[in-house]
Amino acid sequence: MSGNRPIKFRILEILLDGKERWNYEIVSKIQEEYDMQGNYNRDSINFDIIELASGGMLKDVEQKVDEDGIYKKSFLLHKYVITDFGKARGSDACLRYV
Amino acid sequence: MDLKSLKKQESKRKISKGYMWALFCAVFWGIWYLPGTVVWVLNPFDEMYSAIAETGGDGTALIITAVLITAFNALTVMLALMLWNGVLGKYKELGRTLKEFHPCSKWFFLASIFGGPMAILGSFIAMGFIGGAFAAVAALLYPVVGSILAYYWYGEKISKRAAIGIGVIIVGGITIFGGGLLTELSSGNVQWIGYLGGLMAAAGWGIEGAIAGKGLDISEPDVGLTLRFLGENIIWWIIVVPVLALLGYPMYSFALQAFEPMTMLVLIFAGITFGFCYVCWYKSFPLIGVGRGQGIGNLYGLFAIIFIFLFFGDVPEWSIIVGGTLCVIGSFVMFTEDTSALETLRGE
Repeated sequence: MSGNRPIKFRILEILLDGKERWNYEIVSKIQEEYDMQGNYNRDSINFDIIELASGGMLKDVEQKVDEDGIYKKSFLLHKYVITDFGKARGSDACLRYV
Repeated sequence: MDLKSLKKQESKRKISKGYMWALFCAVFWGIWYLPGTVVWVLNPFDEMYSAIAETGGDGTALIITAVLITAFNALTVMLALMLWNGVLGKYKELGRTLKEFHPCSKWFFLASIFGGPMAILGSFIAMGFIGGAFAAVAALLYPVVGSILAYYWYGEKISKRAAIGIGVIIVGGITIFGGGLLTELSSGNVQWIGYLGGLMAAAGWGIEGAIAGKGLDISEPDVGLTLRFLGENIIWWIIVVPVLALLGYPMYSFALQAFEPMTMLVLIFAGITFGFCYVCWYKSFPLIGVGRGQGIGNLYGLFAIIFIFLFFGDVPEWSIIVGGTLCVIGSFVMFTEDTSALETLRGE
């Protein structure tokens, strides 16, 4: 099932359990599932997360500085959680087929 | 660097990028009215117009010609977007999104019905009958339609500030339409179809926005926009153009003549500017918020007037300048609300 749905569907699906996750955790999971290696793909997936957050489906709950370069050294890391609106849109889009 | 200054730096970077995209959108959108106006006097569209006008009358000729122009516009926008998606490496995502018809891509196809045969066709009709500046400024009324729809449709609240903005835009709209109508009423020659085209543009884009948003929420905008134009191409080239040809209009013979270098160049110019204005518009939203993105995007009305003046030397009627300015001011009032309040409104 993985890797054949639109990326934003999958991001919502991952977060539907309501747990908080760091952006690098989501990004690397998607990169692996969709076989999208490289910095360009990494940034493009991260932008999808930013778009979902600006659409009110995810909420940015915590930030920290990437000291060790897990994602992008000395940039900000963001932690996200799904909102009620995101749950509604996400289950609408994703769960129907699961 | 500490967390606080990094946060500041990040938001600064986001905001300046967002404003840049929104401004690009306004410039591209404004420029689009140049090829959109020029194409009317180029072969084969001018010949098509006079050929149909001989037997069917001016009104019919204009609408049929506008259909063919809009169809070509959709085709060149599609080409520009396919190239764009290729550069971004998004063909796979395009396929994945297209397959999700029920939750996602059906909204793009529905949106294309209102965006294409209503908004873009209406714009070309307004450009052909009245002029580019009028067509550009008349469409500035679209946020009014969009927010009223959202109010009835998903019960989205209209804040006091938004209501004031809507009021200012409506006064601007009355100035734009009323000013031109009064001049024409006194000369006894009213181009009703042109004004109808202006209203179609405003209503069509308002409805398109409300519908497309449902799909764009959960897809990548580059991909979503391409599907929306795929829908529009299906409407024109598989449904409308063949039906008009069956009814006896010379669609195909004139369509084939459009492959002249000059005409193709203008059509491709229209496709690139229109395609990228949409892309830039959606890129700006996550960075500065939908509100500011739309507010700045609406500067296109003034850019269109400036470009039309620079390239064609047409000084628009005072009513278009005053009305257009009011519409832009209104959209700023309406859209530049505190975004944090907006986010929570939507989240609940």
